Amino acid sequence: MKRWMGSIVAATLLLGAAACGDDTKAGTPADADSGTTLKLWTRAATESQSKAYAAAYNATHKNQVEVTAYPNEEYPAKLASAAGAKALPDLFASDVVFAPQYASQGLWLDITDKFNALPVKDKVAPAHVRNGTWNKKNYAVPHTVDMSVMLYNKDLFAKAGLDPEKPPTTLQEFADDARAVDKLGGDVNGTYFGGNCGGCNVFTLWPSVWASSGDVMTAEGTESTVNGKAMADVFALYRKLYDEGVAAPASKDEAGPTWLGALQSGKIGIAPGPAAWLGLIEEKAAFKLGIAPISGIDGGESTFVGGDAIGIGATSKHAAQAWDFLAWTLGDEAQVEVVAKNKGVPVRTDLAANKYSSADPRIVTINNLMAKGRTPYAKNFNVTYNDPQSPWVTAFRGALFGDARKSLDDGATALTASLKK
Amino acid sequence: MRRLTGAALAILFLFPLAWSAFASVRTPSGFGLENYARLFNADNGIHFEQAFNSVAVSVLTVGGTLVVSTLGGYAFGRFTFPGRDALFLLTLAILMVPYATILIALYVLLGWIGLQDSLIGLSLVLIMFQLPFSVFMMRNSFEAVPKELEEAALLDGCGSFRALTRIMLPAVKPGLITVGLFAFLTSWSEFFAPLILLNSTDKFTMMLTVVNMRTATFGAIDYAALEAGVTFMAVPCLVLFLVLQRSYVRGFMSGALRG
Amino acid sequence: MTLLVDKRPAVSPPAARPRPRRTRRWVGALYAAPTAFMVGMFFLVPLGLVAYMSLHHWPLLGAPELNAPENYAGMADDELLATAAWFTLKYTVVVTVLLFGLSFGLALLVQHPGRGVGLLRTAYFIPAAVGFASASLLFLGLLSDEIGPVNRILESLGLLHGYVSWTSGSSGSALGSAVGLVLWRFAGFNMLILLTGLQAIPVEVYEAARLDGASRWATFRRITVPLMRPTLALVLTLMVTGSLLAFDQFWILTRGGPDNSTTSLVMIIYRKAFIELDLGSAAAISVVLLVVLILFNVVQLGMLRRKG
Repeated sequence: MKRWMGSIVAATLLLGAAACGDDTKAGTPADADSGTTLKLWTRAATESQSKAYAAAYNATHKNQVEVTAYPNEEYPAKLASAAGAKALPDLFASDVVFAPQYASQGLWLDITDKFNALPVKDKVAPAHVRNGTWNKKNYAVPHTVDMSVMLYNKDLFAKAGLDPEKPPTTLQEFADDARAVDKLGGDVNGTYFGGNCGGCNVFTLWPSVWASSGDVMTAEGTESTVNGKAMADVFALYRKLYDEGVAAPASKDEAGPTWLGALQSGKIGIAPGPAAWLGLIEEKAAFKLGIAPISGIDGGESTFVGGDAIGIGATSKHAAQAWDFLAWTLGDEAQVEVVAKNKGVPVRTDLAANKYSSADPRIVTINNLMAKGRTPYAKNFNVTYNDPQSPWVTAFRGALFGDARKSLDDGATALTASLKK
Repeated sequence: MRRLTGAALAILFLFPLAWSAFASVRTPSGFGLENYARLFNADNGIHFEQAFNSVAVSVLTVGGTLVVSTLGGYAFGRFTFPGRDALFLLTLAILMVPYATILIALYVLLGWIGLQDSLIGLSLVLIMFQLPFSVFMMRNSFEAVPKELEEAALLDGCGSFRALTRIMLPAVKPGLITVGLFAFLTSWSEFFAPLILLNSTDKFTMMLTVVNMRTATFGAIDYAALEAGVTFMAVPCLVLFLVLQRSYVRGFMSGALRG
Repeated sequence: MTLLVDKRPAVSPPAARPRPRRTRRWVGALYAAPTAFMVGMFFLVPLGLVAYMSLHHWPLLGAPELNAPENYAGMADDELLATAAWFTLKYTVVVTVLLFGLSFGLALLVQHPGRGVGLLRTAYFIPAAVGFASASLLFLGLLSDEIGPVNRILESLGLLHGYVSWTSGSSGSALGSAVGLVLWRFAGFNMLILLTGLQAIPVEVYEAARLDGASRWATFRRITVPLMRPTLALVLTLMVTGSLLAFDQFWILTRGGPDNSTTSLVMIIYRKAFIELDLGSAAAISVVLLVVLILFNVVQLGMLRRKG
């Protein structure tokens, strides 16, 4: 019995070892549109955009892109287990801030030469491109772009005696406006934030730090400066709003899943959030929604250029065909007729103004923000900032609800340790 | 007093299910099936092929679990052979392994044997996870069958296999139903194994879709559709539980007696 | 698999008289072969792979490098792991005590047949029909401030004022949510196992005790508990093992929060493997957890044998 099982173990281990050996060869451009079926994986949050790209591409190409979406929270697990089994799809997208990690692990194919041969390469969202880079090689290109902005309820602004056409230009004004709206009383609250959500606060608080010329970590993403003055001031401001009851009490426990729901309710005066929610909020809401840039304590403006990056799965056997799709998504037709038409933000800087954006001045505001924004770069971004068990969550919960000074100093040490791993 | 406590507890136990059913038909304007319509018609809702996949995985898992655990239970309950105790303990040890890691290894393994992204591969894994309960239950069921019954069959000239199919199987029917029922329940509602082991949308099971409703749009949970999904997934299980109640209670009596 | 299954018909031809013992031994082994195959192929092989992984730096793609015992040594100064281990132990004690108490209470409540007792048993057992992931989602809705009835009921009773988040408001309420879910989902199942143990005790034994004038408590302590020892051991083993491996309830309900207060060991394994992409360390923690569980169960079985 024992020997029999032993031989099975040995045989399967050998088999596995043999299976690792085969290399994939990139095809030549000539057969790039050869009628291949390409599998594309994405997270649920990006599903509609990925499917819109795929539908437009499939209509005009012999290659056919099949999109599979996985639950947002379990998507990294899905990618990791597929990679471990050498069964990655031909294309997969990921949250752009996780891109350096996947690139460093070699989960995407090196596309440096292909990307450099692209005529529009200098106009592709530079921060995104940088996040898809590891050791000076390109592994991913932008897929979707989302940016953080201030979303405010114009109706509540008017009721509170504020000018709905004059959104705050400093974070201090934002706090004052929130207080004014909060005075309306009832179940109306001045503001809302994700007090238990790593990703939300990265996305909405960091722009205020950047706008004040501060920073939260070094450019290489290896050292945290979370205890710097700019970050501490931003935390202090939000902390005060929470303590005064201006921020909705649910802010403290908001881990992300009901964040949009809160803003859709029409009972929040002004709050930072994703620009991509513009459509989602308006489709449910019976109020007028205003959009403004996120500012620093005393002015300036910035944004977190988030969204998804996409690359070719390292184990794909259809690299040439997959690139054909990626190159097409970066072209004018896809960016204008697929992305801009659906009120998305083009991933090309030269297409910020296009025939669709001019219809809604708010979209021009959003698109123009991209040049002022940043996408932070860190190999260990997910484990350090996004994951619910990350040191960032511990640090900012301390800064917002506990011993602020100590939390930020301890946090800087813990964050740096996590970034350096 | 006793009856009152009993009844109060019963209400407490039934309440969550009743609420889920209630919440699934409650709409902003009253009551209706809107939430179910969203569950089935949405782009990322439940489609026919997912229902088919769920049924296929359940049938394969229940069938496989019954075959393996019946033969295994017969062997452990009625025979002595080298390595018997070791194998039995190993089977029980399956309970002690953290799901998260062994799934990566299983994913790799299924790749080696060409069963990645396959409903059969998923079913084999689910059968394995069912074995501790099932083999344990079947062993005890077989042990509980009076020795005379089997001996009479063997004396009648039946081989052990015929004794199994003719005499023993009817005697352990409650055990079989219990094992089958729990195999169905697990495979029907399993979420994590299909998530990791299946790669294509057309292979997904319904439970994946229901869990996906939790985060489909980042920042908003469609609670009503979620409860519709929970209720919809629970209904077949509840019906089977009620219909087969007599059998599995007897199955437990014969099967779970001894540790 | 086919090799092993195809041999099966060789057993079935009817024999004129019972076979000699030796043949019968092999027949038994043959019946156990499918189980052995399933356990070997889908449990031992992956388990071997996990153990092998735990000795290596194991990148997702590319060649693994031997780095033993680094993955094991790294566990010593992992603060999050220590927090999770401590929490998991605490959770295990809480769940085992409460779940055992509730299940045993329910079993005693419905052990004698009577009017409506069947209905009560069904009511307690029915949550077992809901899958655990489903049940977790159900509780997510049930306890939510947005749609759930719990807050509204408590408010109308005057027990609650303003906004409360059960699943992430405080470490106590988060733990309570998960424990409540587990109690609801598993009490009936354990009740049924305990009930079978209770009913296997012959009525005559109780009658003899009553004739001796033993009080109800004395009967329970001197007769019920000792005679049920195997069943009790089974139930306790299942509860402890299940609690030490708890994952779904925290993954779906509390996300390990607030402030890592409900982060279980398996969540750490998940984080190591899928967020940090450090498969070697994840495997090492799994191996240690497995060894602890095996040791625990061996000790428990040993104690049971001695006393029994």
